[in-house]
Amino acid sequence: MNVGVAHSEVNPNTRVMNSRGIWLAYLIFVSLLHLVLLSIPFLSVPLVWTLTNVIHNLVMYLFLHTVKGTPFETPDQGKARLLTHWEQMDYGVQFTSSRKFLTISPIILYLLASFYTKYDATHFLINTGSLLSVLLPKLPQFHGVRIFGINKY
Amino acid sequence: MTLAPADAGQQQDGVRATVGVSGDGASLLRAQANRELKEGIKLKTPKFFKKLTASMNEIEEIIEEWQPEPLVPRMSKEKPAPSYNIVSGPPCHKITVNGKQCINFASFNFLGLLDNDRVKNQALQSLRKYGVGTCGPRGFYGTFDVHLELEDRLAKFMRTEEAIIYSYGFATIASAIPAYSKRGDIVFVDEAACFSIQKGLQASRSHIKYFRHNDMEDLERILKQQELEDQKNPRKARVTRRFIVVEGLYMNTGAICPLPELVKLKYKYKVRIFLEESLSFGVLGQHGRGVTEHFGVNIDDIDLISANMENSLASVGGFCCGRSFVIDHQRLSGQGYCFSASLPPMLASAAIEALNIMEEDQDIFRLLRDKCKLIHKELQGISGLKVVGESISPAFHLQLEQSSGSRESDVRILNRIVEYCMDRKIALTQAHYLEKEEKFLPPPSIRVVVTVEQTEEELEMAANLIKEAAQNILQ
Repeated sequence: MNVGVAHSEVNPNTRVMNSRGIWLAYLIFVSLLHLVLLSIPFLSVPLVWTLTNVIHNLVMYLFLHTVKGTPFETPDQGKARLLTHWEQMDYGVQFTSSRKFLTISPIILYLLASFYTKYDATHFLINTGSLLSVLLPKLPQFHGVRIFGINKY
Repeated sequence: MTLAPADAGQQQDGVRATVGVSGDGASLLRAQANRELKEGIKLKTPKFFKKLTASMNEIEEIIEEWQPEPLVPRMSKEKPAPSYNIVSGPPCHKITVNGKQCINFASFNFLGLLDNDRVKNQALQSLRKYGVGTCGPRGFYGTFDVHLELEDRLAKFMRTEEAIIYSYGFATIASAIPAYSKRGDIVFVDEAACFSIQKGLQASRSHIKYFRHNDMEDLERILKQQELEDQKNPRKARVTRRFIVVEGLYMNTGAICPLPELVKLKYKYKVRIFLEESLSFGVLGQHGRGVTEHFGVNIDDIDLISANMENSLASVGGFCCGRSFVIDHQRLSGQGYCFSASLPPMLASAAIEALNIMEEDQDIFRLLRDKCKLIHKELQGISGLKVVGESISPAFHLQLEQSSGSRESDVRILNRIVEYCMDRKIALTQAHYLEKEEKFLPPPSIRVVVTVEQTEEELEMAANLIKEAAQNILQ
């Protein structure tokens, strides 16, 4: 399902991450974030990498695992009203290519950040914590799980 | 693939003959393919081949035994096919049923606008200008100036901000409810709600809670229950929408909903009210504006009023009116609005002319109500039949005081009364329901409709005839 295409998809949110060019756009967006952070003069390179990793993971957590439902009306009477975007992707089918891509990209970013921070202890802790916060919700065991009822309704 | 039970084979011998290996071309090919497959497997793996052929033979047997289920289920002998009374000509005041001319006490032509000359002339003019159909939904070149004019006129008549037109009366409330109420929302609805409301509720996929017909205490009880549950889980309560769906004048019972109490409950428990005014529009109220005018309730207190134009307005289709904020939502979410062809322009013009007549002649509403009171009084005290409905309701029911035990025999008795009256030139009808689909099936009844065109003599004649019929048939 691509932009401007007529479709009969009941919930377009399920197919948006498979649209043409979106993976490239995502990668470009992340590199743009990194470049912007690199341009700030008083930040050192390790700090910039950690910041990139953390900001990327925060934004990913917000958009994929916090915000629920759809910004438009769907003809299925609100089936996805209580589901996050990650849970809506591909109608809940696990291990599709978009899901794999979005799981691997924070891992690659983490590896790069670990390398560029020279495996410093504080940076390591922050980066690992951030990575876990964005990897755990992606596990199929966590589909539909709301811990302590946070974000349930 | 469904397998018919074994005894089905005996009933349908004709079908069985065609499902045989010898006669059928496709099964010949299949048998040949099977044989080749078996030969190939036999050469490679003999042991496996034995097991495989056994199971393949079983499969062959099952396929041969299979009988298709009939597309049309067999008619049982007790329930013969329904026989219809055939109407020739328009169903106006004098209706021709099965060749006999009778006085119409069955069609919902409350204000007699069906055969009105002004309405017919306006419709003919519109027919010459626009043709018959619109060939498109409202969003796809199906919006004509008459539609916009009718919406404007209806909004002004009902004194609301905006109105929206649907092309089918049944689909009006059935599209309006699912446009607002989704999964996880709660709807409190009266048990005697009409079938279109029930279909709308089914389509909405919401939680439905029924309260006893016109029983405000029962409604308050379940509202309190809901309030307690909401207090236990306030986060869930913040995202659930709550609605009350009631009818102004119930079609199944002829009762009027107690609107002032409903508005009080609305503000006490924070629920939205959807009012279905199909029968009360053009009937109740000093100017015919419906049950809000009847009770003197401020129309802004009702969130959505829905009515069909097929009763008092003698047109086709329906409308919803309310605040712009509410009605505008239906322009994209009302399934019957977006995905059905729009109302034919000649019917819209007819509705506009009917509205003109309603606005000019304010007396007809009071006249109609007087006639209803008259016949209601006359029909009291018939032994065997009880009148169900308000005295000012133009559509009320006559039910058997004592049921004979089964619904079918009740229906047959009432049918005899209806035929007795039809033979003597009064056209009556029974209230028909889809018995398996109704949630709370009302008891069988004869539905009598009073229109403003019926004279007092005709009303008295009808009342006397019904009394006679009840005496002859029920005694």
